[in-house]
Amino acid sequence: MPAIKNASDLEALRKRLQTQRGTFRATLTLCGGTGCQASQSQAVIDAIKGELVRQGLENSIHVRVSGCHGFCEQGPIMVIEPGNIFYCHIIPDDAQEIVSKTICNGEIIERLLYTDPVSGNKIQTEAEIPFYRAQDRQLLSKNRFVNPCSIEDYIAIGGYSALAKVLAGMLPDAIIEEMKASGLRGRGGGGFYTGRKWADCRAAQGDEKYVICNADEGDPGAYMDRSILEGNPHLVLEGMMIGAFAIGAGQGAIYVRREYPLAVKHARIAVQQAREYGLLGENILGTDFSFKVEIARGGGAFVCGESTALMASLAGKVGEPRPKDVHTVEEGFMNKPTTLNNVETWANVPSIIHNGAAWFAAKGTKGSKGTKILALTGRVKNTGLIEVAMGTPLRTIVFDIGGGALDGKAVKAVQTGGPSGGCLPVSKFDLPVDFDAFAEAGSMVGSGGMVVMDESTCMVDVAKYFLTFLQDESCGKCVPCRLGIDRMLEIITDITNGKGRPEQIPLLKELAETVSETALCGLGKTAPNPVLSTLRYFSEEYDAHVNQKRCPAGVCKALITYTIDAQKCKGCGLCLKACPHGAIKGEKKQVHVIDTHLCHKCGICTDECNSQAITVN
Amino acid sequence: MKQYVTFTIDGAHVRAAKGASVLDVAIEYGVCIPHLCHVPYLSDIGACRLCIVEHIKDGRSKVTTSCTLHVQEGMVIRSNTDKIKRLRRNIAELLVAQAPNSRAIQDIAVRCGVKEVRYPFRNSNCVLCGRCVRACTEMWRARAIGFVGRGKDRHVDFPFGVRSDLCKHCGSCVMLCPMSITPCNGPMKTGEEYLCGKCESQLAITENLSDSCVWCELGKGFQCGRYQ
Repeated sequence: MPAIKNASDLEALRKRLQTQRGTFRATLTLCGGTGCQASQSQAVIDAIKGELVRQGLENSIHVRVSGCHGFCEQGPIMVIEPGNIFYCHIIPDDAQEIVSKTICNGEIIERLLYTDPVSGNKIQTEAEIPFYRAQDRQLLSKNRFVNPCSIEDYIAIGGYSALAKVLAGMLPDAIIEEMKASGLRGRGGGGFYTGRKWADCRAAQGDEKYVICNADEGDPGAYMDRSILEGNPHLVLEGMMIGAFAIGAGQGAIYVRREYPLAVKHARIAVQQAREYGLLGENILGTDFSFKVEIARGGGAFVCGESTALMASLAGKVGEPRPKDVHTVEEGFMNKPTTLNNVETWANVPSIIHNGAAWFAAKGTKGSKGTKILALTGRVKNTGLIEVAMGTPLRTIVFDIGGGALDGKAVKAVQTGGPSGGCLPVSKFDLPVDFDAFAEAGSMVGSGGMVVMDESTCMVDVAKYFLTFLQDESCGKCVPCRLGIDRMLEIITDITNGKGRPEQIPLLKELAETVSETALCGLGKTAPNPVLSTLRYFSEEYDAHVNQKRCPAGVCKALITYTIDAQKCKGCGLCLKACPHGAIKGEKKQVHVIDTHLCHKCGICTDECNSQAITVN
Repeated sequence: MKQYVTFTIDGAHVRAAKGASVLDVAIEYGVCIPHLCHVPYLSDIGACRLCIVEHIKDGRSKVTTSCTLHVQEGMVIRSNTDKIKRLRRNIAELLVAQAPNSRAIQDIAVRCGVKEVRYPFRNSNCVLCGRCVRACTEMWRARAIGFVGRGKDRHVDFPFGVRSDLCKHCGSCVMLCPMSITPCNGPMKTGEEYLCGKCESQLAITENLSDSCVWCELGKGFQCGRYQ
């Protein structure tokens, strides 16, 4: 492998790679991301490769094992070019048919096409799928064209050209000005202006400076950073190199959690390959710029996503935050000026430099520019990773991309921003995805988690779930976070157990406000958001729990009773047989009755009943 | 040569050495800011959050702990606004509900204006202020004790729970521990904890004087920096 010594070497290599790739008759892109691997995509990949060899096509058909495409629930997925044919839920036995029919004869296999759950139609191409159509995929779309373990793939699609542009004569101040003009804000949760952070770090006194990539994503249900680092690690690396050049750093680190083995592996391979090509190390592309990157694995503590805790952990100390009266851009890792950005933030940098700040700023709202990757999960028809332009209304995300609620139920709320975000009700669905608009509504964009809830979700129970998560993940250093979350959880548990008292609700609110004002770090300051937002938008549910001792959604076990509707019960006896506690009595063909003293409220009878005779109140 | 800065605290202009913390300067000037985890000769970690003040910058107020905030030229600090008093009272209430079995914590509750405790009492014997850990680490460089566990499992212990030779039995940790000061009426039994509030008479004087230090007995109770 020849080292790339200057920008023209890079361009020559790119040309050569592009010509080489142009000779293939067709390209099969198979997803090898974590989601698809969980649905046995590796077996499919092996089967397809084996089949191509068997039919003697291995040299004319290009098989690319890419990173995550975003539509993980349909995995394993495959896109065939030319034709943009999209197959989903592939099993290894389909390999022979795919190769002989679709690849050799251009026939479409109906069975493997995607069925739109809204209209029920089969859809042939990827571009036509409503889930993809309503998105604006700037970062995620690149995953499809790149094998994450191949720097050549990345160079072939124009990779490292932004770095070459920067090193060809852009001054660091000009880069920072470009970042400021782009209006890019931190994608990790804080939403701080990246350009300002870089400028502060550049201005900070210090001979040694660092750049860090925060890949310690820990929100339940969110995996956008994972997918980018797994699917396109060179994009992140290029962003970090541009950032390092701009602030004057010579060393960088990627702090990635140990639970992401594929991300760790791909990041390591990427660093190794970049080193071999001379894109990392001394005198990059023949200039004075030198840069090294280390991969550090985190232990999986949620609090280590907080910048100061991350830096402590990186330095080998206990991962606990420190007060930020002195910012990390002045005194960060090893007390040296440090710029820490999220994976997605770094991934946005190369295209901003390549296409210019105006291109980036053209998308989005007044205060939030560009696109944002969101993890759409919960009770919607289509789930997965989506990327939308900032300013897209929640309604579009939930109904157009997500396809609306499952099982004909009504959507009730969407929980945004992970455990420290808030729940926004349907009445707020016209809100655009925007840092300031979300904050004003009592939630946050955060890292981009988006959990859709329908009418079968109890909002008090949701608040309890997130508080339990946060109680486990709080580091315990400061009083408001450690004791405050504990007491909030105590009160909410009382409420869900039917022991809530009316005076506890104002207390809960006061406590939540105290914690958010006084906690030491971002985790504590945002921890009361689930409580505050549910109190704000769903106060009637709290009221029902406390004053009427009932759970409207039928979730809180202490407040519900299962009864059999005498009109509907046919006396089939299915529930009687299924009940593990012997709580159901009744003769054949007679109406059955539930003994509420014996009933454990497990819900098995409801699932068994064919005539919907069992009701929950 | 020592450099000085001037700034405003509760409307009064004060002069202080550059690099000092707002809390140290406030105590020096007799402005009473309650504190628990702060010990004058140890580093500050901002754990108890009792010493919060409002730092007004560019017309916006930010609540921050004064022990970790360094003085800067022209900064504006307000230590006894209604908002700060309310937040401080809520934090003190959390503390006294967690560990009522200490005169120091009870005195802090009185000083912060806690009149009733709205949470069930617990009889914890540590509030994780970290005074002991820092004294052991920083004063004696012994590192015999440290924090173990995270979140609700966090506690102070020897490494692996076994007392090592690093501990020289100096007793600094016990001396600095707010939990080692028993309530006036003796230790409370589990299930019979209460908010004492007896020393409220102490407060009457300070209330009239708007948070200036009167060398009260309460301060002795919670080991106020002024007494050390």
